[in-house]
Amino acid sequence: MEKVIEIESLSKHFSDKTALDNLTLYIKKKEIFGLLGPSGSGKTTMIKILTGQMKPSRGSTSLLGIPSEKLKQKNIFQKVGIMTDNSGLYDRLTVKDNLKLFCNLFSVSENCIHRALELVNLGDEQNKKVALLSKGMKQRVLLARIFLHQPEILFLDEPTSALDPVNTQAIYTALKDMNRDGATIFLTTHDMVEADTLCDRVAFLNRGHIQLLGSPKSIKQRFADQTLTLESLDGLEHVFESNEKDARHIYEMLRTNQVVSIHSNEPTLEDVFVKVTGSDLR
Amino acid sequence: MIFSINRTMAIFQKDVKDVSRNVFVGTTLLVPILMAIVYKNIGEVTLEIHYTVINLTFSSVAAFVQCTLIAEEKEKNTLRSLMLSPASILEILGGKSILTALITLFTIFISAVITGYAPSHPFVIIIGLLVSCLFYLALGTLLGLMTSSVMEASVAVLPVMFLFGFGTLLQQVSDKYPVLSIIDYLPNLQLLELAKKVESGASFSSLFVNLIVILMAGILSSALVFMIYQKRTLKD
Repeated sequence: MEKVIEIESLSKHFSDKTALDNLTLYIKKKEIFGLLGPSGSGKTTMIKILTGQMKPSRGSTSLLGIPSEKLKQKNIFQKVGIMTDNSGLYDRLTVKDNLKLFCNLFSVSENCIHRALELVNLGDEQNKKVALLSKGMKQRVLLARIFLHQPEILFLDEPTSALDPVNTQAIYTALKDMNRDGATIFLTTHDMVEADTLCDRVAFLNRGHIQLLGSPKSIKQRFADQTLTLESLDGLEHVFESNEKDARHIYEMLRTNQVVSIHSNEPTLEDVFVKVTGSDLR
Repeated sequence: MIFSINRTMAIFQKDVKDVSRNVFVGTTLLVPILMAIVYKNIGEVTLEIHYTVINLTFSSVAAFVQCTLIAEEKEKNTLRSLMLSPASILEILGGKSILTALITLFTIFISAVITGYAPSHPFVIIIGLLVSCLFYLALGTLLGLMTSSVMEASVAVLPVMFLFGFGTLLQQVSDKYPVLSIIDYLPNLQLLELAKKVESGASFSSLFVNLIVILMAGILSSALVFMIYQKRTLKD
Protein backbone atom coordinates (compact mmCIF):
# COMPACT_ATOMS: atom_id res chain seq x y z
CA MET A 1 0.00 0.00 0.00
CA GLU A 2 1.52 3.29 -1.13
CA LYS A 3 0.79 6.30 1.04
CA VAL A 4 0.70 9.47 -1.06
CA ILE A 5 -0.44 11.89 1.65
CA GLU A 6 0.85 11.57 5.21
CA ILE A 7 -0.21 13.63 8.19
CA GLU A 8 1.70 13.14 11.43
CA SER A 9 0.69 14.66 14.80
CA LEU A 10 -0.60 17.76 13.01
CA SER A 11 -1.84 20.71 15.03
CA LYS A 12 -2.79 24.20 13.94
CA HIS A 13 -3.62 26.91 16.44
CA PHE A 14 -4.82 30.40 15.61
CA SER A 15 -4.74 33.11 18.24
CA ASP A 16 -8.18 32.35 19.62
CA LYS A 17 -8.88 28.86 18.30
CA THR A 18 -7.45 25.39 17.74
CA ALA A 19 -8.32 24.41 14.17
CA LEU A 20 -6.53 21.04 14.09
CA ASP A 21 -5.45 19.11 17.15
CA ASN A 22 -2.82 16.37 16.93
CA LEU A 23 -4.14 14.62 13.80
CA THR A 24 -2.44 11.57 12.33
CA LEU A 25 -3.74 10.24 9.04
CA TYR A 26 -2.62 8.88 5.70
CA ILE A 27 -4.23 8.68 2.28
CA LYS A 28 -3.48 5.74 -0.01
CA LYS A 29 -2.68 5.98 -3.70
CA LYS A 30 -5.82 6.00 -5.92
CA GLU A 31 -8.06 6.66 -2.93
CA ILE A 32 -10.87 9.23 -2.88
CA PHE A 33 -10.77 10.59 0.63
CA GLY A 34 -13.35 12.94 2.07
CA LEU A 35 -12.77 15.23 5.02
CA LEU A 36 -16.20 16.07 6.35
CA GLY A 37 -17.15 18.71 8.82
CA PRO A 38 -19.25 21.80 9.41
CA SER A 39 -18.12 25.22 8.17
CA GLY A 40 -15.15 26.47 10.18
CA SER A 41 -14.13 23.00 11.32
CA GLY A 42 -10.61 23.25 9.85
CA LYS A 43 -11.11 21.48 6.50
CA THR A 44 -9.67 24.30 4.39
CA THR A 45 -6.84 24.82 6.88
CA MET A 46 -5.94 21.15 6.40
CA ILE A 47 -5.72 21.55 2.60
CA LYS A 48 -3.66 24.73 2.94
CA ILE A 49 -1.17 23.00 5.23
CA LEU A 50 -0.98 19.91 3.00
CA THR A 51 -0.30 22.02 -0.08
CA GLY A 52 2.36 24.14 1.59
CA GLN A 53 0.29 27.33 1.76
CA MET A 54 0.25 27.47 5.54
CA LYS A 55 2.66 26.46 8.29
CA PRO A 56 1.43 23.98 10.89
CA SER A 57 1.84 24.88 14.56
CA ARG A 58 3.13 21.37 15.26
CA GLY A 59 3.60 18.09 13.42
CA SER A 60 4.33 17.39 9.76
CA THR A 61 2.64 16.60 6.46
CA SER A 62 3.98 15.26 3.19
CA LEU A 63 2.85 14.63 -0.39
CA LEU A 64 4.47 11.82 -2.38
CA GLY A 65 7.09 11.64 0.37
CA ILE A 66 8.03 15.34 0.07
CA PRO A 67 7.44 17.56 3.13
CA SER A 68 4.65 20.05 2.34
CA GLU A 69 6.82 23.10 3.00
CA LYS A 70 9.30 21.91 0.33
CA LEU A 71 6.78 21.22 -2.43
CA LYS A 72 7.72 24.31 -4.44
CA GLN A 73 11.45 23.60 -4.27
CA LYS A 74 10.92 20.01 -5.41
CA ASN A 75 8.61 21.08 -8.26
CA ILE A 76 5.83 18.78 -7.04
CA PHE A 77 3.07 21.14 -8.22
CA GLN A 78 3.43 19.59 -11.68
CA LYS A 79 1.80 16.49 -10.14
CA VAL A 80 -0.78 18.25 -7.98
CA GLY A 81 -4.08 19.99 -8.76
CA ILE A 82 -5.50 22.35 -6.15
CA MET A 83 -8.88 24.05 -5.99
CA THR A 84 -9.58 25.97 -2.81
CA ASP A 85 -11.52 29.05 -1.79
CA ASN A 86 -8.46 31.13 -2.71
CA SER A 87 -8.19 29.97 -6.32
CA GLY A 88 -8.85 32.81 -8.75
CA LEU A 89 -9.46 33.52 -12.43
CA TYR A 90 -8.60 36.48 -14.66
CA ASP A 91 -11.95 38.23 -15.13
CA ARG A 92 -10.98 40.28 -18.19
CA LEU A 93 -9.76 37.23 -20.11
CA THR A 94 -11.83 34.54 -21.80
CA VAL A 95 -12.21 31.05 -20.37
CA LYS A 96 -9.84 29.76 -23.06
CA ASP A 97 -7.17 32.39 -22.35
CA ASN A 98 -7.31 31.56 -18.64
CA LEU A 99 -6.78 27.88 -19.36
CA LYS A 100 -4.15 28.59 -22.03
CA LEU A 101 -1.98 30.30 -19.41
CA PHE A 102 -2.09 27.23 -17.19
CA CYS A 103 -1.41 24.89 -20.12
CA ASN A 104 1.83 26.81 -20.62
CA LEU A 105 2.67 26.88 -16.91
CA PHE A 106 2.13 23.12 -16.64
CA SER A 107 3.80 22.45 -20.02
CA VAL A 108 0.81 20.65 -21.51
CA SER A 109 -0.61 21.01 -25.01
CA GLU A 110 -3.37 23.58 -25.57
CA ASN A 111 -5.40 20.73 -27.08
CA CYS A 112 -6.16 19.72 -23.48
CA ILE A 113 -8.38 22.79 -23.06
CA HIS A 114 -11.27 21.40 -25.09
CA ARG A 115 -11.21 18.05 -23.25
CA ALA A 116 -11.07 19.74 -19.82
CA LEU A 117 -13.99 22.04 -20.69
CA GLU A 118 -16.04 19.11 -21.99
CA LEU A 119 -15.53 17.34 -18.66
CA VAL A 120 -17.16 20.24 -16.80
CA ASN A 121 -19.90 20.88 -19.39
CA LEU A 122 -18.40 24.17 -20.58
CA GLY A 123 -17.41 23.15 -24.09
CA ASP A 124 -19.45 25.96 -25.67
CA GLU A 125 -18.29 28.72 -23.34
CA GLN A 126 -14.56 28.85 -24.07
CA ASN A 127 -14.67 32.24 -25.79
CA LYS A 128 -16.78 33.86 -23.10
CA LYS A 129 -15.19 36.42 -20.77
CA VAL A 130 -14.84 35.07 -17.22
CA ALA A 131 -16.41 38.26 -15.83
CA LEU A 132 -19.66 37.29 -17.56
CA LEU A 133 -19.85 33.80 -16.03
CA SER A 134 -22.04 32.80 -13.10
CA LYS A 135 -20.48 31.62 -9.81
CA GLY A 136 -21.17 28.00 -10.69
CA MET A 137 -19.58 28.38 -14.14
CA LYS A 138 -16.48 29.99 -12.61
CA GLN A 139 -16.23 27.04 -10.23
CA ARG A 140 -16.36 24.70 -13.23
CA VAL A 141 -13.61 26.67 -15.00
CA LEU A 142 -11.45 26.25 -11.88
CA LEU A 143 -12.13 22.53 -11.99
CA ALA A 144 -11.30 22.41 -15.71
CA ARG A 145 -8.04 24.19 -14.91
CA ILE A 146 -6.91 21.46 -12.55
CA PHE A 147 -8.00 18.75 -14.99
CA LEU A 148 -5.66 20.18 -17.68
CA HIS A 149 -2.45 18.55 -16.53
CA GLN A 150 -4.03 15.33 -15.21
CA PRO A 151 -2.49 15.56 -11.75
CA GLU A 152 -1.60 12.56 -9.59
CA ILE A 153 -3.16 14.17 -6.53
CA LEU A 154 -6.17 16.49 -6.48
CA PHE A 155 -7.10 18.71 -3.56
CA LEU A 156 -10.66 19.95 -3.84
CA ASP A 157 -12.22 22.25 -1.29
CA GLU A 158 -16.00 21.86 -1.55
CA PRO A 159 -15.81 21.26 -5.32
CA THR A 160 -19.53 21.29 -6.08
CA SER A 161 -20.76 23.84 -3.53
CA ALA A 162 -22.07 26.29 -6.17
CA LEU A 163 -23.25 23.76 -8.76
CA ASP A 164 -26.68 22.59 -9.84
CA PRO A 165 -27.50 18.84 -9.71
CA VAL A 166 -26.82 18.21 -13.43
CA ASN A 167 -23.36 19.76 -13.33
CA THR A 168 -22.64 18.17 -9.97
CA GLN A 169 -23.21 14.76 -11.59
CA ALA A 170 -20.90 15.71 -14.47
CA ILE A 171 -18.16 16.62 -12.00
CA TYR A 172 -18.68 13.36 -10.07
CA THR A 173 -18.27 11.43 -13.34
CA ALA A 174 -15.11 13.38 -14.23
CA LEU A 175 -13.61 12.82 -10.79
CA LYS A 176 -14.41 9.11 -10.84
CA ASP A 177 -12.82 8.81 -14.30
CA MET A 178 -9.68 10.58 -13.11
CA ASN A 179 -9.56 8.33 -10.07
CA ARG A 180 -9.91 5.27 -12.31
CA ASP A 181 -6.94 6.58 -14.31
CA GLY A 182 -4.84 6.65 -11.13
CA ALA A 183 -5.47 10.00 -9.43
CA THR A 184 -5.72 10.26 -5.66
CA ILE A 185 -8.39 12.73 -4.57
CA PHE A 186 -8.56 14.57 -1.25
CA LEU A 187 -11.77 16.52 -0.95
CA THR A 188 -13.48 18.47 1.77
CA THR A 189 -17.22 18.82 1.87
CA HIS A 190 -20.15 19.24 4.14
CA ASP A 191 -22.36 17.52 1.58
CA MET A 192 -22.90 14.03 2.94
CA VAL A 193 -24.45 12.75 -0.31
CA GLU A 194 -21.32 13.85 -2.16
CA ALA A 195 -19.12 12.05 0.35
CA ASP A 196 -21.26 8.92 0.12
CA THR A 197 -21.24 8.98 -3.70
CA LEU A 198 -17.55 9.68 -4.25
CA CYS A 199 -15.43 8.67 -1.29
CA ASP A 200 -13.69 5.41 -0.51
CA ARG A 201 -13.01 6.66 3.02
CA VAL A 202 -14.21 9.63 5.00
CA ALA A 203 -13.13 11.31 8.22
CA PHE A 204 -15.41 13.37 10.43
CA LEU A 205 -13.58 16.49 11.54
CA ASN A 206 -15.05 18.40 14.43
CA ARG A 207 -13.47 20.87 16.85
CA GLY A 208 -10.02 19.99 15.55
CA HIS A 209 -10.35 16.24 16.07
CA ILE A 210 -11.09 13.36 13.72
CA GLN A 211 -14.01 11.74 15.45
CA LEU A 212 -14.67 8.91 13.01
CA LEU A 213 -12.76 7.38 10.11
CA GLY A 214 -13.78 4.66 7.66
CA SER A 215 -15.66 3.87 4.48
CA PRO A 216 -19.14 5.42 4.22
CA LYS A 217 -20.65 1.93 4.10
CA SER A 218 -18.84 0.64 7.19
CA ILE A 219 -19.68 3.81 9.12
CA LYS A 220 -23.37 3.55 8.28
CA GLN A 221 -23.45 -0.16 9.13
CA ARG A 222 -21.73 0.50 12.43
CA PHE A 223 -24.43 2.94 13.40
CA ALA A 224 -27.37 1.01 11.95
CA ASP A 225 -29.97 0.09 14.57
CA GLN A 226 -30.60 -3.44 13.18
CA THR A 227 -34.28 -2.80 12.40
CA LEU A 228 -36.40 -3.22 9.28
CA THR A 229 -39.26 -1.03 8.15
CA LEU A 230 -42.08 -2.72 6.30
CA GLU A 231 -44.91 -0.96 4.50
CA SER A 232 -48.12 -2.94 4.34
CA LEU A 233 -51.05 -2.85 1.91
CA ASP A 234 -53.10 -0.72 4.29
CA GLY A 235 -50.45 2.03 4.04
CA LEU A 236 -49.04 1.53 7.52
CA GLU A 237 -45.33 1.34 8.34
CA HIS A 238 -44.18 -1.36 10.72
CA VAL A 239 -40.73 -1.38 12.35
CA PHE A 240 -39.34 -4.81 13.19
CA GLU A 241 -36.38 -5.69 15.34
CA SER A 242 -33.92 -8.47 14.79
CA ASN A 243 -35.54 -11.31 16.81
CA GLU A 244 -37.44 -14.53 16.20
CA LYS A 245 -40.87 -13.13 17.04
CA ASP A 246 -40.57 -10.25 14.55
CA ALA A 247 -39.08 -12.56 11.92
CA ARG A 248 -42.16 -14.78 12.17
CA HIS A 249 -44.39 -11.70 11.88
CA ILE A 250 -42.61 -10.57 8.71
CA TYR A 251 -42.84 -14.08 7.24
CA GLU A 252 -46.57 -14.13 7.92
CA MET A 253 -47.10 -10.76 6.21
CA LEU A 254 -45.07 -11.87 3.21
CA ARG A 255 -46.98 -15.16 3.00
CA THR A 256 -50.34 -13.33 2.99
CA ASN A 257 -49.17 -10.79 0.35
CA GLN A 258 -49.58 -7.80 2.66
CA VAL A 259 -46.12 -6.31 1.98
CA VAL A 260 -45.64 -3.30 -0.33
CA SER A 261 -41.99 -2.58 0.54
CA ILE A 262 -39.33 -3.60 3.03
CA HIS A 263 -36.00 -1.97 3.81
CA SER A 264 -33.26 -1.93 6.45
CA ASN A 265 -33.00 1.18 8.61
CA GLU A 266 -29.45 2.44 7.95
CA PRO A 267 -28.65 5.94 9.08
CA THR A 268 -27.34 8.51 6.59
CA LEU A 269 -23.82 9.86 7.03
CA GLU A 270 -25.41 13.07 8.25
CA ASP A 271 -27.32 11.17 10.95
CA VAL A 272 -24.08 9.51 12.05
CA PHE A 273 -22.23 12.83 12.06
CA VAL A 274 -24.84 14.48 14.24
CA LYS A 275 -24.85 11.46 16.57
CA VAL A 276 -21.05 11.32 16.87
CA THR A 277 -20.27 15.01 17.11
CA GLY A 278 -23.46 16.49 18.43
CA SER A 279 -23.13 19.16 15.70
CA ASP A 280 -25.22 19.96 12.70
CA LEU A 281 -23.44 19.84 9.33
CA ARG A 282 -24.00 23.43 8.25
CA MET B 1 16.29 28.17 -9.00
CA ILE B 2 14.08 26.89 -11.83
CA PHE B 3 13.68 29.23 -14.81
CA SER B 4 11.64 28.56 -17.92
CA ILE B 5 11.44 31.20 -20.61
CA ASN B 6 8.19 29.60 -21.87
CA ARG B 7 6.46 30.04 -18.53
CA THR B 8 7.79 33.60 -18.18
CA MET B 9 6.53 34.47 -21.66
CA ALA B 10 3.15 32.82 -20.93
CA ILE B 11 2.67 35.16 -17.96
CA PHE B 12 3.83 38.13 -20.06
CA GLN B 13 1.41 37.26 -22.90
CA LYS B 14 -1.42 36.87 -20.41
CA ASP B 15 -0.59 40.31 -19.00
CA VAL B 16 -0.56 41.86 -22.49
CA LYS B 17 -4.14 40.64 -23.08
CA ASP B 18 -5.27 41.53 -19.58
CA VAL B 19 -3.71 45.01 -19.48
CA SER B 20 -4.95 45.88 -22.98
CA ARG B 21 -8.48 45.63 -21.54
CA ASN B 22 -7.58 47.57 -18.40
CA VAL B 23 -8.72 51.20 -18.77
CA PHE B 24 -7.06 52.16 -15.48
CA VAL B 25 -3.58 51.32 -16.78
CA GLY B 26 -4.26 53.05 -20.11
CA THR B 27 -5.15 56.34 -18.44
CA THR B 28 -2.14 56.16 -16.11
CA LEU B 29 0.19 56.04 -19.13
CA LEU B 30 -1.23 59.29 -20.41
CA VAL B 31 -0.25 61.34 -17.33
CA PRO B 32 3.51 61.71 -18.06
CA ILE B 33 2.84 62.19 -21.79
CA LEU B 34 0.36 64.99 -21.05
CA MET B 35 2.86 66.50 -18.64
CA ALA B 36 5.54 66.41 -21.35
CA ILE B 37 3.18 68.21 -23.76
CA VAL B 38 2.41 70.87 -21.12
CA TYR B 39 6.10 71.51 -20.33
CA LYS B 40 6.95 71.65 -24.04
CA ASN B 41 4.34 74.35 -24.57
CA ILE B 42 5.30 76.41 -21.50
CA GLY B 43 8.72 77.35 -22.83
CA GLU B 44 12.33 76.19 -22.66
CA VAL B 45 12.64 72.67 -21.30
CA THR B 46 15.63 72.40 -18.95
CA LEU B 47 17.40 69.19 -17.95
CA GLU B 48 15.55 69.29 -14.59
CA ILE B 49 12.23 69.36 -16.42
CA HIS B 50 13.23 66.50 -18.71
CA TYR B 51 13.98 64.45 -15.60
CA THR B 52 10.85 65.55 -13.77
CA VAL B 53 8.90 63.95 -16.62
CA ILE B 54 11.18 60.87 -16.70
CA ASN B 55 11.03 60.34 -12.93
CA LEU B 56 7.29 60.86 -12.94
CA THR B 57 7.05 58.15 -15.60
CA PHE B 58 9.09 55.81 -13.44
CA SER B 59 6.98 56.44 -10.34
CA SER B 60 3.57 56.63 -12.00
CA VAL B 61 4.07 53.91 -14.62
CA ALA B 62 6.81 51.52 -13.47
CA ALA B 63 6.05 51.65 -9.73
CA PHE B 64 2.34 52.49 -9.75
CA VAL B 65 1.21 50.21 -12.59
CA GLN B 66 3.37 47.32 -11.34
CA CYS B 67 2.04 47.82 -7.81
CA THR B 68 -1.60 47.76 -8.91
CA LEU B 69 -1.07 44.77 -11.23
CA ILE B 70 0.45 42.73 -8.39
CA ALA B 71 -2.20 43.94 -5.91
CA GLU B 72 -4.96 42.98 -8.34
CA GLU B 73 -3.49 39.48 -8.68
CA LYS B 74 -3.53 39.24 -4.88
CA GLU B 75 -7.05 40.65 -4.55
CA LYS B 76 -8.47 38.19 -7.08
CA ASN B 77 -6.44 35.25 -5.75
CA THR B 78 -4.79 34.71 -9.12
CA LEU B 79 -1.31 35.23 -7.64
CA ARG B 80 -2.00 32.30 -5.31
CA SER B 81 -2.97 30.19 -8.34
CA LEU B 82 0.33 31.09 -10.01
CA MET B 83 2.20 30.25 -6.81
CA LEU B 84 0.55 26.82 -6.76
CA SER B 85 1.69 26.06 -10.30
CA PRO B 86 5.16 24.90 -11.35
CA ALA B 87 6.13 28.54 -12.07
CA SER B 88 8.99 29.82 -9.88
CA ILE B 89 9.18 33.24 -8.24
CA LEU B 90 11.58 34.41 -10.97
CA GLU B 91 9.19 33.29 -13.71
CA ILE B 92 6.12 34.83 -12.05
CA LEU B 93 7.61 38.18 -11.09
CA GLY B 94 9.83 38.29 -14.18
CA GLY B 95 6.85 37.62 -16.44
CA LYS B 96 4.81 40.24 -14.62
CA SER B 97 7.59 42.84 -14.89
CA ILE B 98 8.35 42.59 -18.63
CA LEU B 99 5.19 44.35 -19.73
CA THR B 100 5.48 47.17 -17.17
CA ALA B 101 9.13 47.65 -18.13
CA LEU B 102 8.27 47.89 -21.84
CA ILE B 103 5.39 50.29 -21.22
CA THR B 104 7.60 52.46 -18.98
CA LEU B 105 10.47 52.66 -21.46
CA PHE B 106 8.07 53.35 -24.32
CA THR B 107 6.40 56.18 -22.33
CA ILE B 108 9.82 57.66 -21.50
CA PHE B 109 10.78 57.52 -25.19
CA ILE B 110 7.56 59.27 -26.27
CA SER B 111 7.92 61.90 -23.52
CA ALA B 112 11.57 62.50 -24.44
CA VAL B 113 10.59 62.97 -28.09
CA ILE B 114 7.91 65.47 -27.06
CA THR B 115 10.18 67.46 -24.71
CA GLY B 116 13.06 67.17 -27.18
CA TYR B 117 15.54 65.51 -24.84
CA ALA B 118 18.72 64.46 -26.68
CA PRO B 119 21.52 63.42 -24.28
CA SER B 120 25.18 63.86 -25.27
CA HIS B 121 25.95 60.20 -24.50
CA PRO B 122 22.73 58.22 -25.03
CA PHE B 123 24.40 54.91 -24.13
CA VAL B 124 25.17 56.00 -20.54
CA ILE B 125 21.71 57.48 -20.13
CA ILE B 126 20.06 54.31 -21.46
CA ILE B 127 22.05 52.25 -18.91
CA GLY B 128 20.91 54.66 -16.19
CA LEU B 129 17.29 54.39 -17.30
CA LEU B 130 17.41 50.57 -17.40
CA VAL B 131 18.95 50.33 -13.92
CA SER B 132 16.38 52.85 -12.61
CA CYS B 133 13.61 50.81 -14.20
CA LEU B 134 14.74 47.75 -12.21
CA PHE B 135 14.52 49.77 -8.99
CA TYR B 136 11.02 51.14 -9.69
CA LEU B 137 9.68 47.75 -10.80
CA ALA B 138 11.00 46.18 -7.60
CA LEU B 139 9.50 49.01 -5.56
CA GLY B 140 6.12 48.60 -7.25
CA THR B 141 6.21 44.83 -6.81
CA LEU B 142 7.12 45.23 -3.16
CA LEU B 143 4.22 47.58 -2.48
CA GLY B 144 1.87 45.32 -4.45
CA LEU B 145 2.88 42.32 -2.36
CA MET B 146 2.46 44.24 0.87
CA THR B 147 -1.05 45.45 0.10
CA SER B 148 -4.11 43.29 -0.38
CA SER B 149 -6.25 45.20 -2.88
CA VAL B 150 -5.96 47.64 -5.77
CA MET B 151 -7.59 50.34 -3.63
CA GLU B 152 -5.07 49.82 -0.83
CA ALA B 153 -2.19 49.75 -3.32
CA SER B 154 -3.32 52.99 -4.95
CA VAL B 155 -3.08 54.73 -1.57
CA ALA B 156 0.19 53.06 -0.53
CA VAL B 157 1.94 54.13 -3.73
CA LEU B 158 1.08 57.84 -3.38
CA PRO B 159 4.03 58.77 -1.10
CA VAL B 160 6.33 56.91 -3.52
CA MET B 161 4.96 58.91 -6.44
CA PHE B 162 5.51 62.12 -4.52
CA LEU B 163 8.99 61.23 -3.26
CA PHE B 164 10.31 59.91 -6.55
CA GLY B 165 8.16 61.80 -9.02
CA PHE B 166 8.79 65.25 -7.56
CA GLY B 167 12.13 64.59 -5.90
CA THR B 168 13.74 67.68 -7.41
CA LEU B 169 11.48 69.82 -5.20
CA LEU B 170 12.67 67.90 -2.15
CA GLN B 171 16.26 68.52 -3.16
CA GLN B 172 15.71 72.22 -2.54
CA VAL B 173 14.59 71.36 1.01
CA SER B 174 17.64 69.15 1.58
CA ASP B 175 19.89 72.04 0.53
CA LYS B 176 18.51 74.02 3.48
CA TYR B 177 18.60 71.18 6.03
CA PRO B 178 21.82 69.09 5.87
CA VAL B 179 20.19 66.34 7.91
CA LEU B 180 18.01 65.62 4.87
CA SER B 181 21.02 65.24 2.58
CA ILE B 182 20.25 61.50 2.39
CA ILE B 183 17.56 62.53 -0.11
CA ASP B 184 20.38 63.18 -2.58
CA TYR B 185 21.01 59.42 -2.71
CA LEU B 186 17.49 58.63 -3.92
CA PRO B 187 17.60 56.91 -7.34
CA ASN B 188 15.63 59.70 -9.01
CA LEU B 189 18.11 62.37 -7.93
CA GLN B 190 21.05 60.12 -8.74
CA LEU B 191 19.65 59.76 -12.25
CA LEU B 192 19.37 63.54 -12.59
CA GLU B 193 22.93 63.96 -11.32
CA LEU B 194 24.09 61.35 -13.80
CA ALA B 195 22.42 63.27 -16.63
CA LYS B 196 24.00 66.55 -15.48
CA LYS B 197 27.44 64.92 -15.40
CA VAL B 198 26.90 63.48 -18.87
CA GLU B 199 26.04 66.92 -20.22
CA SER B 200 29.07 68.51 -18.50
CA GLY B 201 31.39 65.85 -19.99
CA ALA B 202 32.39 64.23 -16.67
CA SER B 203 34.65 61.17 -16.59
CA PHE B 204 33.17 57.65 -16.73
CA SER B 205 34.42 56.87 -13.20
CA SER B 206 32.34 59.70 -11.74
CA LEU B 207 29.26 58.51 -13.71
CA PHE B 208 29.89 55.01 -12.40
CA VAL B 209 29.21 56.13 -8.80
CA ASN B 210 25.66 57.26 -9.66
CA LEU B 211 24.96 54.08 -11.58
CA ILE B 212 26.17 51.96 -8.65
CA VAL B 213 23.95 53.86 -6.18
CA ILE B 214 20.89 53.29 -8.39
CA LEU B 215 21.85 49.65 -8.93
CA MET B 216 22.28 49.08 -5.18
CA ALA B 217 18.82 50.52 -4.57
CA GLY B 218 17.46 48.12 -7.21
CA ILE B 219 19.24 45.11 -5.71
CA LEU B 220 18.09 45.99 -2.20
CA SER B 221 14.45 46.39 -3.31
CA SER B 222 14.63 43.12 -5.30
CA ALA B 223 15.98 41.29 -2.24
CA LEU B 224 13.08 42.66 -0.19
CA VAL B 225 10.65 41.52 -2.91
CA PHE B 226 12.02 37.95 -2.72
CA MET B 227 11.77 38.01 1.08
CA ILE B 228 8.19 39.29 1.18
CA TYR B 229 7.13 36.90 -1.62
CA GLN B 230 8.48 33.89 0.30
CA LYS B 231 6.66 35.11 3.40
CA ARG B 232 3.41 35.49 1.46
CA THR B 233 3.77 32.00 -0.06
CA LEU B 234 3.65 30.33 3.34
CA LYS B 235 1.28 31.87 5.85
CA ASP B 236 1.72 31.38 9.59
